[in-house]
Amino acid sequence: MTRLVRSITEMEGRFEEKWVLVSDDEPEAWASDRPLAIVGHETPRTTGPTRVSGAARYTTDVSLPGMLHVAALRSPLAHGRVTGLNREAALAVPGVRAVLDSTDTLSFRSRSGPLYAEPEHAGALLAVVAADTLVAARAGVKALALTIDPLPFVIDVDEAFRDQRIDGEIAEESRGDVDAALAGADVRVELTVETPTQLQTALEPHGAVGWWTEGELTCWVSTQGIFDARSELAKRFSVAPERVRVVADFIGGGFGAKQGAGVEALLAVELSRRTGRPVRFINDRHGEQLDAGSRPATRQTVRLGATGQGDLVAIDSEVLTSFGMTGWRAVNTPAMTLYRCANARGVEANLKLHLRQGNAFRAPMVLEGVTAVEQAMDELAITLGIDPLDLRRRNFVDVDQPSGLPYTSNQLLACYDRVAELSGWVGRDALLEPSEDGLLRGMGCATQIWWGGGGPPSHATIRIGGDGIATVVTGIQDIGTGTLTAAQMVAAEELGLPLDRVRVTGGDTRPNVYGPVAGGSQTSPSVLPAVRGAAAEVKRTLLQLAGDVFEAAPADLDLVNGRFRSSDGALDEPYTEVTGKLGNATVDGSGMRGANPDGMRANTFGCQVAQVAVDPGTGEVRVEHVWAVHDIGRVINPLGARSQVEGGILQGMAFALSEEVAFDPTTGVPTNAWLDDYKIPSIADVPAMTIAFVDVPDTALNNVGAKGLGEPPIIPTPAAIANAFRHATGRRALALPLTRARVVETLA
Amino acid sequence: MSVLRSGYVRPTSLGEALQLLAQPGARPMGGGTDLAGLIDRGIGQVATIVDLQALALGGIRGEEGRVVIGATTTLSDLLDAQDMLAPYTALLEATAQAASPLLRNVGTVAGNLCQHTRCWYYRGPEWTCWLGGGDTCYAQVGDHRKHGLQAGDCISAHPSDLAPALIACAATVQLGSAWGDRDIDLADLYRRPTATERSLVDLEPGEIILSVTLPAPPDSSVYLRAGERQGFSFPLVGLAAARHGERVSMCAVGVANTPHVLDPVDPLAGLDGHPQSAWKRTVLATLVERSLATVAP
Repeated sequence: MTRLVRSITEMEGRFEEKWVLVSDDEPEAWASDRPLAIVGHETPRTTGPTRVSGAARYTTDVSLPGMLHVAALRSPLAHGRVTGLNREAALAVPGVRAVLDSTDTLSFRSRSGPLYAEPEHAGALLAVVAADTLVAARAGVKALALTIDPLPFVIDVDEAFRDQRIDGEIAEESRGDVDAALAGADVRVELTVETPTQLQTALEPHGAVGWWTEGELTCWVSTQGIFDARSELAKRFSVAPERVRVVADFIGGGFGAKQGAGVEALLAVELSRRTGRPVRFINDRHGEQLDAGSRPATRQTVRLGATGQGDLVAIDSEVLTSFGMTGWRAVNTPAMTLYRCANARGVEANLKLHLRQGNAFRAPMVLEGVTAVEQAMDELAITLGIDPLDLRRRNFVDVDQPSGLPYTSNQLLACYDRVAELSGWVGRDALLEPSEDGLLRGMGCATQIWWGGGGPPSHATIRIGGDGIATVVTGIQDIGTGTLTAAQMVAAEELGLPLDRVRVTGGDTRPNVYGPVAGGSQTSPSVLPAVRGAAAEVKRTLLQLAGDVFEAAPADLDLVNGRFRSSDGALDEPYTEVTGKLGNATVDGSGMRGANPDGMRANTFGCQVAQVAVDPGTGEVRVEHVWAVHDIGRVINPLGARSQVEGGILQGMAFALSEEVAFDPTTGVPTNAWLDDYKIPSIADVPAMTIAFVDVPDTALNNVGAKGLGEPPIIPTPAAIANAFRHATGRRALALPLTRARVVETLA
Repeated sequence: MSVLRSGYVRPTSLGEALQLLAQPGARPMGGGTDLAGLIDRGIGQVATIVDLQALALGGIRGEEGRVVIGATTTLSDLLDAQDMLAPYTALLEATAQAASPLLRNVGTVAGNLCQHTRCWYYRGPEWTCWLGGGDTCYAQVGDHRKHGLQAGDCISAHPSDLAPALIACAATVQLGSAWGDRDIDLADLYRRPTATERSLVDLEPGEIILSVTLPAPPDSSVYLRAGERQGFSFPLVGLAAARHGERVSMCAVGVANTPHVLDPVDPLAGLDGHPQSAWKRTVLATLVERSLATVAP
């Protein structure tokens, strides 16, 4: 029975009630103690060989006959007014087919831009040129011979705050009486920290190939959300969604920045519509680093008040975020939710600056908030003389404090215990003994909180035919996380088939099987239950058919590892004895994600410990080891999950050590929007990593018991490293990243 | 793009190559790892790329107590010649830390010595800085956290790891052009730019490095560097020290716009620093101390 119900859905902490389609036939959640044959066992990702061999076709690899290439003209100023563009000269370049700038009336609707006459950030698009070759397109851009007058700009936080350049209202949330609680606290700490602007730096830049034919639109997009991209293209170009096909077979990373269609797809389609040719628009690296988004910089002041025993009585957090002209606010989420505290207040303002607008970046805002709150907690532990992990245990809370709702599951205390055991936490002060190599060593910890419960709508279908291969169709776009493999495992588990009898597809809107955007750590907890539902339906049918073939009662049969077996063991036949009789017929099943439980909040938790070695003479900080323990409900694929945590730790480590956009103060232009000066970690920087999961299924949340893992592992790493630096050196760097310059200056 | 719109020639004789290089706008190319980046960002006019790799200018040979390294010898070739170069520890250490394995497979010794500064204002297409022919050293009014410590018209930082190691080992370079050859100390290849000569290397138009010659090895030598990460980064500060008997030669990069020979008595002399780059003094002092301890008898 399928029904439409009102249900609360959540994406990165934004809650919304909407109508969702749910099924009454959903399988019961796998019990915690039920042994599973495939789920929970290490499984190499199915697309590994394809990716490694270079056979995988990413958007940037799409090449179509007659395809045009786009080059972009971007603003060389943080704020300016275009005074001259020589379109005729550009159109005169051999091979150039079309030029668009802000004076063109585009066939899609846009509130502002995407081509600007008065750009408000460096790298803003001013014009695009489409040509037979990329070389010709770039020559066309050069021929435009841009002239632009500078206008006043503001990128400085202090200047913007002084001038009260604030986007909208200052957000304030609070409970209790923070001022009174702070005044009455036995112990108070106050810490102001800054976090850097970090770029997503996906290996594959943003890009699309758009092809408009007879009112049908096909678009290859490097996107985290093929269905969002389809909706966006359909709406903007006034085409029915069923006439739009979005394809993303392989995506070379997104980290949050690749939502929807993106400006590249919109302009590629526009140019295709005008020229009648397929059009490819892929950012070059400079364009990508200038204008594909960022994690905006923050300045945060956290005040904590506590009793002498370490019970928090007040949390007070003030945040200034350098978002660009507009953005959203969630940096105070950790301050309001991470620890039990009756009196908490979060004040948050976005400054209006001439910067590229920030966008989602793996645990957006929450990573930043945790980085400040967890450093303040470290200071509180030092002030109180309490073990930092004990301080966190003491202030553990098992309800979502702003709403008062219980969590569907919360294994944070188990994470603390396990990470302490793995890292040898209690003996960490031994690191402070002088070492032969002269390096200062220390260990720090930090807690993680994030949502990641997923929810409806999410659908899957499974079809099995005469060849015995079960094909799972999903709306997953696997941005490198391995969710397709997880779906294959869940389908094989439920069907009772070997893994290699199951194929999973995703990355294409044409089958019209909806999956959510790969964001908010929601793919696994949203899609996998739908896959399991579809598999359960197919299996029910297969058992009925087996009953027909083997003249047995279906209820007496099971399908296990590709064999039909009767409960008395008398029957043991390969499943192909049944599927082989299907001929051209197929057995189909469909599944959908059920509603989230009422009156509960689904969150992921974890704790990481980092060990660093600091060379005070050269300012070098090396992360030697990170121990990570996370509660993500049931672990579907331990191999894939560990890989995901490794990536999160590295990206978090980079935020703490080296990644930082540098802005030229005199022009407002980023000086390091390239890969030579913007330092993501190299293989040689990779620390030792010990990764574990509590692995207790969240049976209240969904039928597979899984929560998400995309965001969680990056969240605590920077604070753990900053706290380890504090432990090692006795000093706290008030801004990240811990570059050599900052370390030398901090230790001076 | 400009690459494809420029001429590209791959001469097979040195004479032919030098004639081609004598033409205006001709640029020599070794591995191309720096040139490609420069062209991509529109730095300098390129009419013709003269690829030097078919000239048999590569190779390392020992002769009469010296070692001669051909211009197009790759950095990987140096590392493969551990036996011959073992007495020049600093050079091997510098080479092993330069760039990344892939770049070392392609990048050449001469190209490494002649690479342009990494100054983000010099490289960034949004600026035309003083060194690039403009009026302003933007680093001095802007963000110079990675820049040099000297005062002057250009405060960019020299990026070669090989140069200080070779200079500390008293290397010379053999230069060639259509007008003749000459042999100079490697240290003299570099010069501070002037209003009329906005270049950091003292090469005549059309002149190229043919080889680098290392004299008899030092008694001991070392190269220490502080990079931005463990691999694949330019030196923020690099320091080579070589001891010949009682005398120690030290040469640093990342602290001035050319490789900077340090005064052993007062190594930080003339390196006062700028507000955001002064931190490099601490690093340089540390590297000096550690390198002296390493090369001491």
